Amino acid sequence: MRRAAYRGLILPGVLAAIIVLLAIAAPIMPLIDPVRQDIAHRLTGPSAQHWLGQDEYGRDVLSRIIWGARVSLSVAFSAAAAAALIGTLLGILGGYFRGVVELLTVRAAEIVLCFPPLLLALLVVTLLGPGAGTLIFSLSILFAPGFARVAYAETLSTRALDYVTAQHALGARTRRILALTVLPNIATPLIVQFSLTVAAAMLLESGLSFLGLGVVPPAPSWGLMIRGARGAMEQAPLLLFWPCLALTGTVLVLNLLCDRLRDALDPRGRAMGRPGFLGRVFALPPVPSPPAPGLLSVQGLTLQVPGPNGPIEVVRGVSLSLAPGETLAIVGESGSGKTLTGLAVMGLLPAAVTPVAGSIMLTGQDGMPRDLLRLPEPELRALRGRDMAMIFQDPSSSLNPLLRIGTQVAESLRAHGTHDGVHDRVVALLRQVGLPDPERAAMAYPHELSGGQRQRVMIAAAIANHPRLLLADEPTTALDVTVQAQILALLQALKEAEGGMGMVFVTHNLAVVAEIADRVAVMYAGEVVEEGPADEVLAAPRHPYTAALIASTPEGEAERLSAIPGAVPQPWAMPPGCRFAPRCAMAQPACTVTAPALEEVAPRRAARCLRWRELA
Amino acid sequence: MLAFAARRLIVSVGLVWAVASLVFLVIHLIPGDPAELLLSQGGIAPDPAAVEELRDRLGLNLPLWTQYLDYMGGLLRGDFGLALQDEHPIVDEIALRLPRTLELVGAAGLIALVFGVPLGVAAALRAGGMLDRLLTAGAGLALSVPVFVLGTLTVLVLAQHLRLVPAGGYVPFARDPGRHILLLLMPAGTIAVGLGAVVFRVMRASVLEVLERDHVRAAQARGVSPAGIIRRHVLRNALTPVVTVVALHLGSLLGGTVLVEFVFNWPGLSGYLVRSVESRDYPEVMGIVLVISALFVLLNFLVDLLYAVIDPRVRHG
Repeated sequence: MRRAAYRGLILPGVLAAIIVLLAIAAPIMPLIDPVRQDIAHRLTGPSAQHWLGQDEYGRDVLSRIIWGARVSLSVAFSAAAAAALIGTLLGILGGYFRGVVELLTVRAAEIVLCFPPLLLALLVVTLLGPGAGTLIFSLSILFAPGFARVAYAETLSTRALDYVTAQHALGARTRRILALTVLPNIATPLIVQFSLTVAAAMLLESGLSFLGLGVVPPAPSWGLMIRGARGAMEQAPLLLFWPCLALTGTVLVLNLLCDRLRDALDPRGRAMGRPGFLGRVFALPPVPSPPAPGLLSVQGLTLQVPGPNGPIEVVRGVSLSLAPGETLAIVGESGSGKTLTGLAVMGLLPAAVTPVAGSIMLTGQDGMPRDLLRLPEPELRALRGRDMAMIFQDPSSSLNPLLRIGTQVAESLRAHGTHDGVHDRVVALLRQVGLPDPERAAMAYPHELSGGQRQRVMIAAAIANHPRLLLADEPTTALDVTVQAQILALLQALKEAEGGMGMVFVTHNLAVVAEIADRVAVMYAGEVVEEGPADEVLAAPRHPYTAALIASTPEGEAERLSAIPGAVPQPWAMPPGCRFAPRCAMAQPACTVTAPALEEVAPRRAARCLRWRELA
Repeated sequence: MLAFAARRLIVSVGLVWAVASLVFLVIHLIPGDPAELLLSQGGIAPDPAAVEELRDRLGLNLPLWTQYLDYMGGLLRGDFGLALQDEHPIVDEIALRLPRTLELVGAAGLIALVFGVPLGVAAALRAGGMLDRLLTAGAGLALSVPVFVLGTLTVLVLAQHLRLVPAGGYVPFARDPGRHILLLLMPAGTIAVGLGAVVFRVMRASVLEVLERDHVRAAQARGVSPAGIIRRHVLRNALTPVVTVVALHLGSLLGGTVLVEFVFNWPGLSGYLVRSVESRDYPEVMGIVLVISALFVLLNFLVDLLYAVIDPRVRHG
């Protein structure tokens, strides 16, 4: 990815180098004197001697273009260099010392940004008179604050780094720290800023010269050439064309260079897929119709993400089932694939994640079973929020800050064809989830509610259409401990009120499982490692990972609290045998070779371990 | 909301006062005698008696703080002083030309938004696709063409070669509305090309960012249609950065229409400014810079209000 980004630099880099080389080499090239006039041949077209023709004073156009590059580029580069020097110095000083110094440097420089740039340049020209010196001076004033801002921001973040603090503690001199540590760290954003500035300075220089307030004639400048050619536009339109092309082309090359430079230095936020709700683009091979589920039946679900060395399976062969009125908890550490499994059921997977095998059967409100993985997006959308609903981990970011609470809850109703009495229904829902003063809450904006209240709103929106299946993805993780218990109690009460609603509860908290779940599926590294009735699994685990999880829970029965050594393996570096073997206290040589299958260990219980019998 | 607006207004008035003082100081403290500069045409040293006479007339011999109070007092009464060249009241000329520049900037902003916003949304929704790549490349090109190059080429092609439109000029709306709009559209369209490219880029990036937010996925989980998601959950949320950028650019355009007004002979404020700069008419330059800066501040004030309209959190914060 980064290598591709650097490759993108080649074309604009080479073009920019050619332009700069031409400008530098102008005096040693066999060019006609750019200011030598030849009035007798004014406005003559291209000839063997004058490749691009002669201008309104009979001067050679090609020579003036190349010499003009020299003038434009030297003004732009000097101004950008001066601005970089002044601005960076101000920014570093302000960012390093803060306080009064910051006020005198960065904030003072920012006053310049309060003026429209061209206006300020004109003000300087009024005071100093036109000329290249004035141009460089005014352009450096204009662009220095930009550098000051970049340097300031970067210095602030570099200053906070541990090794800078360490140097200070070791007694290094401030000047030394600034020169040796801070400067190299802020170099990359400054390079981007520099190339941006050169392009902007060229635009301003040529604009001022075009007005006759920049470079003084007869010195060649692209802006001046366009100014001159305007008068002869009717007789010699090409005269106008060449300097326009040179100017636009150079600015384009510089801008392109700048874009590519930024991509190469900061590869974040580049390629992105189309948003999923516009229609998903994967096609799965059909499966012979699987048996009708109780409520939900996930069979052999496998999810892939693209990796540098081919696709990576982040969820592999996951099977789950849920009867009406049941609560299934999916437990596991971060990265175990539990959230992705939940999102796959809703058809809300991130664009990078593709289902490649399996089926997800859901019995809808009409009693019809459907395979959600093979349903077209419009039909899936009709099910979302009606037959199945989801509440998310962070209620603060899951509500649109710009819309009233009532509007967002009402969306659930309106999206599924309810248009009459929506307001009353919304208020009733908000009352049902226990919001005080539901009339007022409906008119409130999300930021006016507490975290727990926002999660109640999300639950109200989820149950608006009496879904058959409610998916809850760590719905209490972002909340205070006292609020967590209230939300759990609310979910329990709602489930009893909505007869037959099944719930899938994704969590990493075993205490919650014990409290709320009928069945539990333990996931590790993208696989289900143990599955069964919640009380049985918690009382007598048949997989070392489940046992270790229970031992690491404060509320567990273990005498001593123990952490599981190591970390979940990265999806692209899965061990060949049992995925838990590297962290398992019971691992044997066989475990690192053979990947165990999910075996039935008791009626309605399964575990994925070669040695489950020894745990019994 | 009212308290919010009042707070912002006080800050804005303070800023205008600061800008006025700054402009005054810059003009008066910079080395070089304005009177001498004005009279020294063509490098010939002016007659000392004439310089002294002009200094007296301009009040330059008074103590600086007296001049400052006089100037500020004049501003409060809406008096910007007289031009040095022909002694016309500066405020009259500004009042005549300012609406034309505002009209030009407003029209350019409108065109830029009308094209930039929908195209930015369309490109973002198909990020990486053919349309997106085409539009992104087009915006890159549009940003690289200097506005006076585009204007000059427009005149060359549309007016000189095809003879479709007049080469420029100005007709009051009351006299000939059709011609007025035609003459407005060319400079406004020229400005709008670059500005529209900026709007496009910001809108595209902003929509892409909003699409990744949790509340969009939550709306999807409710079964909201794509059109509903884009309308209620993406567009309005994505608009805030666009408002910022457009306001910033419109602000710099207030002084930046110089080139376009020059190319199309549009008799706006900028042309007046260039003329003043050329003739080094200090009171004129001061007056125009002040008016434009004050407008800039006013624009920022309006943008703050607009934020409050878009985002309830700003209103209550």
